Amino acid sequence: MADNVTLTIDGARVTVPKGTLIVDAAKRLGNDIPVFCYHPKLQPVGMCRMCLVEVGRVQRDRASGQVIVDENGQPRVVMAPKLETACTTPVEEGMVVIGASGRVKEARDDILEFLLTSHPLDCPVCDKGGECPLQNLTIAHGPGQSRFIFEEKFRLAKQLPLGELIYLDRERCIQCARCIRFQNDIVDDRVLSFYERGRHLEIITCSEPGFDSKFSGNTTDICPVGALTTTDFRFEARPWEMNMAASICPHCPVGCNLTLNTRREARSGGQMVIKRVMPRQNEQVNEIWVCDKGRFGHHYASSSDRLTRPLVRRDGKLLEAAWEEALELAAGQLKAAGAGLAGLAGGRLSNEDLYNFRQVVTGLGGSAALNTRMGGAEQTQQVGVGLGTNFAEMGPGTAILVVASDLEEEAPIWWLRVKQAAERGATLIVANGRPTKTDRAARYVIRYAYGQEVATVLGMLVTGSSEAAEALARAENSVILFGREGLDFAGSTALAQACANLLIATNHYGRPNNGLVGVWPDANTQGAWDMGLPARGQAVLPVGATASWIVAADPVGDGEISAEALRAAGFVVVQELFLTPTAQAADVVLPAASWVEREGTFTNGERRVQRFYPAITMKGRPDFQIAAEIGARAGLSVSSHAAQIMLAIAENVPAYAGLTYQKLTEVVKQWPEVGGRDLYYGGASYTNRQGLGVQVPSAAERGADITAGKLAAPPPPARNGLTLVPVTVLYDRSTTFVRSQVMHPYVPRPYVELNTADAARLDIQDGDTVTVEAAGVRVTLTARVDGRAPEGVALMPADLGPAVPAVAGPATIQKG
Amino acid sequence: MLIDTHREEVDRILAKYPADQKRSAAMPLLYLAQSAYGHITPQAMEEVGGLIGVSSTDVAGLVGFYSLYYDRQAGKRRVQICTDFPCALRGAETFAAALCQKLGVRLGETTPDGEWTVEAVMCLAACDKAPMFQVQDADGIHYHESAGPDQPLTVDQALDVLANYTSAGKGG
Amino acid sequence: MFVEFVRGLATTFKQIFEEPVTAPYPEVKRPVAARFKGRHELKRYDNGLEKCIGCALCAAACPADAIFVEAAENTDAVRFSPGERYASTYEINMLRCIFCGYCADACPTEAIVLESNYELSFTNRDSSIYTKDMLIVPVLPGGEPTPQKAPPGKFGRAIPDMKDPE
Repeated sequence: MADNVTLTIDGARVTVPKGTLIVDAAKRLGNDIPVFCYHPKLQPVGMCRMCLVEVGRVQRDRASGQVIVDENGQPRVVMAPKLETACTTPVEEGMVVIGASGRVKEARDDILEFLLTSHPLDCPVCDKGGECPLQNLTIAHGPGQSRFIFEEKFRLAKQLPLGELIYLDRERCIQCARCIRFQNDIVDDRVLSFYERGRHLEIITCSEPGFDSKFSGNTTDICPVGALTTTDFRFEARPWEMNMAASICPHCPVGCNLTLNTRREARSGGQMVIKRVMPRQNEQVNEIWVCDKGRFGHHYASSSDRLTRPLVRRDGKLLEAAWEEALELAAGQLKAAGAGLAGLAGGRLSNEDLYNFRQVVTGLGGSAALNTRMGGAEQTQQVGVGLGTNFAEMGPGTAILVVASDLEEEAPIWWLRVKQAAERGATLIVANGRPTKTDRAARYVIRYAYGQEVATVLGMLVTGSSEAAEALARAENSVILFGREGLDFAGSTALAQACANLLIATNHYGRPNNGLVGVWPDANTQGAWDMGLPARGQAVLPVGATASWIVAADPVGDGEISAEALRAAGFVVVQELFLTPTAQAADVVLPAASWVEREGTFTNGERRVQRFYPAITMKGRPDFQIAAEIGARAGLSVSSHAAQIMLAIAENVPAYAGLTYQKLTEVVKQWPEVGGRDLYYGGASYTNRQGLGVQVPSAAERGADITAGKLAAPPPPARNGLTLVPVTVLYDRSTTFVRSQVMHPYVPRPYVELNTADAARLDIQDGDTVTVEAAGVRVTLTARVDGRAPEGVALMPADLGPAVPAVAGPATIQKG
Repeated sequence: MLIDTHREEVDRILAKYPADQKRSAAMPLLYLAQSAYGHITPQAMEEVGGLIGVSSTDVAGLVGFYSLYYDRQAGKRRVQICTDFPCALRGAETFAAALCQKLGVRLGETTPDGEWTVEAVMCLAACDKAPMFQVQDADGIHYHESAGPDQPLTVDQALDVLANYTSAGKGG
Repeated sequence: MFVEFVRGLATTFKQIFEEPVTAPYPEVKRPVAARFKGRHELKRYDNGLEKCIGCALCAAACPADAIFVEAAENTDAVRFSPGERYASTYEINMLRCIFCGYCADACPTEAIVLESNYELSFTNRDSSIYTKDMLIVPVLPGGEPTPQKAPPGKFGRAIPDMKDPE
């Protein structure tokens, strides 16, 4: 094969694709060449010189370019006079690489000693100690005795905070620039840089706030020394002391694979607690990364205000009760409601919870619904991305359309992967009513007026309507990610249909790397639809409800229904982690177990079903079990074992046919290898041994007849004055995030963002207090004037405290 | 703001580079900021970054890399002694220490009369004339090197050189 | 045969007038050997600061998994040890401990030492767990008890500077 190259490394022959670097070729052979600055996900720079090897190349005649052969007829190989870096040298045909020679060993030993000249050797107190590449390679290559006197070492003040999440220890830094390169190349947040030169070289950040990136935690994983550590895990435990449990991130529809590190903790009374969250490799989903929300947003599970005992209302007050009593009461009342029973579940529940919930609610004659403001899952079930879709494989020939979504705020890891696909040559088209970070990587940016989302996508159906439409239609593969910015349920459903129609018209569905992806508000919105829960209507409860059963949803806290109105609709059962405003209005409150305490599966936006495992001692009971117990008391028989429920799902949900818990645990060898013995290569992310998950087929792949849905572009909204658009921010005050104290400095105060021109017209300055009135909402908050909002549009983040309108619409804003 | 006080110069510098390569203007703009503010303040880094669409962290990286930019208030003239590896082997560190002692300051400090700031810097590309130093003042940069391998620069020679600057009233 | 008989009795009679080697414990306690490994003690510096930095290497070295350590960060206002980090929890389960001394070998600051106390008895399992308060030695005269208040910048190192062991 012309694209492959065969070479010899330490006597072993290996064939690798052309352009592979020696260090990677050696890794394929299981030959570990030590590295510090090289990382398989980053471009090589050759800064640390740890990977020096002897390289021999086939000699060629200068004039003819012919290979010179020796007397045996073999190509003559000439060893280079100096050692070369294996991380920057691409392989060549017939190359001979020697890494196991005395000369190489001596060079590496010297480099290591050099790197240690100013290292403080404070491994006993360093959070990296135990999983530190420098520590491991010092044991392999380091001198037993230091030739450098401690007093003469270069000293700097320890522990310099880079922002609120990351500490920098400049003495430990070996200047490999992995963190800087990660920030610049992978996430495009250029907030780290080198300062000064030589021994004085140090990492700095000038952003406001410091290290202003949503991916900062990843730098601590790839830092090959203890220079970057997180404040959240500071001195919490040594790496070898902790237990591991595989998990899935519950914060967004990406479904990043996680490993939870747990340990007993004295201040929690000897309970097992989550000490830190680490990424677990899944090259199809999150590679080896995880955003800071996933990494630091786990504290709600161990929050002290978790509900642990059932509560029952007696004489108007919620009082603690025994499980038996609470379940009997709830089952009796819910059963009595019959057809009047209204079930409402949130999208952060697992598939098992949602399936059991629906079984029990419908079994009792009631109706179950999903608490969501975003529609479109019927379309993703039809023409969702095909089996084997992987953003990492997208490049030239692929078009990606992101519409009505600020990807970095809604699904950070997708942002990162879409951006990298664009850098590899994929055509990225971004359609939104305002500039977002995704624009930076886009080839085409389509700017529409809010309210024109559907019309914009439908416009792309017309052949030759725009270059972007042409690129999407003609691309070999096309993926559309649709969001809900400024849209309510009906709007986002129409947008999904428009996107589906576009894919169907251009024949981009039913195969890998083609189809539709919903940027859902919750981790398991897709799964909830798949489990057969329809979305609730405009009203929280259907007309005629005589009892309600609300699970993992807080419509009262969201300002969608008042506590009085909820209570007026009969008996209220709430299943929750916390005493939310909705729970406070309940007649029976049943404490649920959080996702880290129990088993379950989430279906991510790419419709990959992924399994998570219990990590710490259970508080409350799993939602699927509570549903089963209520069902049992009402005379219904549903399973209360997660694996059995999955079997029932496989039987009753066509797309999930054949799924079992065993299948979800299957793994294949992934490249690049991370988390193994050679921590220096891939960083501290965990190897995936607990399952890569299984993608479920779309209806198109199951042979269904796919036809475009009928859809008319809505008339453009007649608007004069300001349009208030609800937007999503990653760091919000939602129930499952606000309890992470460490993230509080990053959660903004409620604000509304105005265009400079609008602000000038309204005489509003940056930082002024303003009152916003829109769609029956009246709130007072801070104004931001920074030109990020387009003229005529005011952006108001949701989930920061005050209620926001469900849909973009006219608003009046005035000072004071 | 630089853009307000030196609009003309800023525009002239930016005009030199293609619109999609504005970042190339970083260095001349930093010189401008340095002469306008006396040294490059964090505020100046942010302004320059804003003008050329580069993060202030990246601008700070430039300022840190070049010994031509200074990020803190210093004396009228800067004595920058190269103490990089080849110079160090030729005794640059001893030279620097001795010069500092004569001037009564420590490395990085300014003499009480505000005349001299002594700094140790990375390579100044004169390894063959080590030890050596450069003087930066309003006139520009002046190299002062050893005459040859056998005649290394002495502290007394250096002091004579410095005295020349002050007596001639050069720059300032 | 008679000779042997007399010789044996002679030894017996000689012993009657010698001091007995048994000691009336607990009234009298015999000194232990210099390298005896008894109950652990957590040492302090002369100024009263704790030597332990909470690195948990003792726990890692312990073959019986008898040691549990949790660390926390020193501040200048609340300072337990000279470095960045101190042990906020330090427990040894004496029922598990096999007195091998590996913990003392592993300790980078010579904070944990197996001393001469061998009088360990418990009436229940809970009291076999020795906490930090029980293990740490009293402050020497001239030292201050921990936590101390230290002037800012006095303790800037991660690990206190140590003399090489003799």
